[in-house]
Amino acid sequence: MEARPVDAKMITRRCIVARLQEISISKYRDLVQENAGALLILIPADLGSISTSDAKHLQTLERELLLLAEETSMPVYFALETEELAQIYSDIHSGNAGDQAATAVQALMSGATANGFQMVIAGSQAKALGEFQITNVQGHLSGYGIEEQLPTVAFVAHYDAFGIATGLAEGADSNGSGVIALLELARLFSKLYTNSRTHAKYNLVFLLSGGGKFNYQGTKRWIEDNLDSQDTNLLSDVAYVVCLDTIGQSDNLYLHVSKPPKEDSAGNVFLQNLREIIGSYYPQLKFEMVHKKINLADDILAWEHERFSIKRLPAFTLSHLESHKSPDRETVLDTRSKVDVKKLRRNIHIVAEAVARHIYNISSRGDVQLFSKTLDVQEELVSAWLHHLTEKSRAAQLLHKDHKLLNNLEETLNRYLKDVKRSTLKADKRDPEFIFYDGAEYTMSAYNVKPAIFDLFLALGIIGYLALVYLAVQVKESFTIGDD
Amino acid sequence: MTLFHFGNCVALAYVPYAIVYKCSGLAEYSAFWKCAQAGAAYLFTQLCKMLILATFFPATEVSTGGLDVIGEFLKSTVDLADLIGLHLVMSRIAGKGQLKFMVAGLGWATAELLMTRFIPLWVGARGVEFDWKYIQMSFESNINLVHHICTAMLVWLRSRNDLQKSLMPVVMSLLALSCYRPLIVEIITHAIGLGSWTLLSFKALFTGCVGVIALQMFLGLSGQSNSNSYY
Repeated sequence: MEARPVDAKMITRRCIVARLQEISISKYRDLVQENAGALLILIPADLGSISTSDAKHLQTLERELLLLAEETSMPVYFALETEELAQIYSDIHSGNAGDQAATAVQALMSGATANGFQMVIAGSQAKALGEFQITNVQGHLSGYGIEEQLPTVAFVAHYDAFGIATGLAEGADSNGSGVIALLELARLFSKLYTNSRTHAKYNLVFLLSGGGKFNYQGTKRWIEDNLDSQDTNLLSDVAYVVCLDTIGQSDNLYLHVSKPPKEDSAGNVFLQNLREIIGSYYPQLKFEMVHKKINLADDILAWEHERFSIKRLPAFTLSHLESHKSPDRETVLDTRSKVDVKKLRRNIHIVAEAVARHIYNISSRGDVQLFSKTLDVQEELVSAWLHHLTEKSRAAQLLHKDHKLLNNLEETLNRYLKDVKRSTLKADKRDPEFIFYDGAEYTMSAYNVKPAIFDLFLALGIIGYLALVYLAVQVKESFTIGDD
Repeated sequence: MTLFHFGNCVALAYVPYAIVYKCSGLAEYSAFWKCAQAGAAYLFTQLCKMLILATFFPATEVSTGGLDVIGEFLKSTVDLADLIGLHLVMSRIAGKGQLKFMVAGLGWATAELLMTRFIPLWVGARGVEFDWKYIQMSFESNINLVHHICTAMLVWLRSRNDLQKSLMPVVMSLLALSCYRPLIVEIITHAIGLGSWTLLSFKALFTGCVGVIALQMFLGLSGQSNSNSYY
C-alpha cells in the first residue's frame, strides 16, 4: 500500500504513517471510517526518556484503542522511530504525491517527480492460537515437622506483560518487579530452610502464574487444581497469600485487600509486621492498606489476590499503585528504565522481613533485621534479572510453553525450591475464556517507488533519445558511405 | 507499472544495438551469423580470462574500501586477451575492413550485453523498489557498444600495413587506453569521488574521445586506400 501522511486527503486503501502526537482517538475513528488501508504509528525509539505529555498521550491512546473493541479491518502497526523511518516520514510529508495540488498540470508534474513509498507487510494474517497453553511454574519449601499439618504461606506473581503493541510489551515494573521479588524471596528463604536451626514451621509455596494480564487465568486454574484435589495439599491450610504486583518504583506501597484481616489472623500479623518494619527502617515510605470489595459483576478482577479471596483464602496484593485502574500496568512505556532497582530491593527486603518475622514468630520489639549482610537482597542479582526479563517482549501470547524465559525461571526456582513443576492450561474449546492471536511482530518493508506517470515520462524520454541515436547513425552512415 | 519500467530499461539498452545493426549496412550483408560467431568468441575469451584470473590472481581480502592499484592493473592486463580475441575474430571474417570490425565489435558488445545486463535488469527493474541504477545500467550498455566498436576498429587499424607509421603510436596508446579503461575510471572515481551520474557521463566522454580519434584515423585511412584503389 502506498504510504501517506496523516493529513492527506485521499487515504482509502493507503497506509497512513503518523507520529504518535498526530494520532488521537477521533483521528483514528476518521481513518477507520474512510477505509484507510493500514495505520503505522511511529513511537519514539527511546521509550524510557519520553516526555511526560507524550507518555500521557500514548497511555490514553492505548487505553482508548483497547476500549474500541469494534471490529475493523484496519491493522494498526507500531514501530520505534529509527533514522530511516524518520527519513521516510519526512519524505512522504514533502512529496504529497499530487493529492493536494491546485491544478491538473501541477498534479501531473509533482506526480512525475515525487518519491513515493510502497509499504509491504511480510507474513500472514494474525490467526487464533487455538492450542495455546498458559504455563504456571510453581515450587515449594516444606516447613519443619510433618508437612501436611503445617500452615502455608504462598507467594504469587504473574510474569506476563501487556501493551498495546504486543511486541513491545517489556513490562519491567508490571510485572517484572514482582517476578524478581519472588525469585529473591525464594532464594533467601531457601537459604534459611536448608539450615535446621532456621527451619520454620511453615510451608512456603511460590507460584509464577501465567496469563496474569488476562484476568489471572493461570492463577485461577492453579487454585482450582490445588484447592480441591486429593493428592496435593498445598492450599489446605493457608495462612495467607502474598501477591506481588508492580513494586519496582515510587515511595508508596499499598496493601490491597478484599476483606481486612481479622484481629488474630496470620494476615493481621503480617500487616502489623509490615507497618512496624516500614515505620522503623523506611520512614520515608508511605504505606497504606486499600480495601476494595470484589465486584463479582465485573468481568475482570482487579488484583490477583481476588482470585484467592473468591475461594475464601486470605490473600492480599502488594503494589505501589493505589488503584488497579492505573494505566501504568498495561502500557508499552513500562520499560527497564522505569524500575528503580534500589526501591525494588527495598520493597523485597520489606516483604521478606515481614514474612520472616511472622513465620519465626519474632515479636517485633527487638530491632533485629534478619536479612542483612550475606542474607540480604542482592542488588546485582535484582538488576541482572531485570535485564533478562525485559530483554524481549513478555506478552502472554509470546510465552508459549517451551519458551526460553520459562525454562530459565523454572531452572532458577529448581535451584532453590523443591518439587518445581509447571502446569499448563488450555482454553476450553467450546466456550473459551481466552483466545490469543499470533502476530506480535511483523516486518514491514518500505519500497521507494515512482508513480506510473513517471514511467510514462521516462518512456517518452527514452523514445526521444533512441530517435536521436537513429538519426545520428543515419547521418554517420551516409557520411561514411559517401566517403567510400 | 514495474513491467513497464523494465520495458523502458530494455528498450534503452537494446534498441541502439538494433539500430546500429540495421543502419550500418550489416543487415544487407546478412552478417547475423557472423555476429553470433563473434559473440561465441567473446564467451570463449571470457572463459579463458576467468581461468587465468582464477589461477594466477588469488583473491585479495585486504583491500576493503582502499584501492589496490597494482592488483587492478594486473587484472586489466588480462583484458589484453580481449584484444587478442577481437583480432582472431576479425582475422576469421572475410570481407571488407569496415564490415569486419563492425561485425566483431557489435557481436562482442551484444554478447556482453546479454551476459551481463539482462539478468540484473530482469531481477532488479521488475521489483517494486525504484532505483535510477537500472536506467544508468542501460545507458552504460550504449556506451559499451561504442567502446567495443572503437576497440575493434583500433585492433583492425593496428593490423593494417598501410597505416602511416607516425599514427602507429597513437593507435597503440588508444588501444592501451581502452584496455585499461576500467582501471582509469576507477582511479578517477576514487580520486574525485564521482556520483553515479557524473561517472556515467565521464565514461561517455572518455569513450566519445577515443571513438572520435579512432574514427578520424579510420576515415583518413579509408580515404587513402580509396585513392590507392585498394578495394
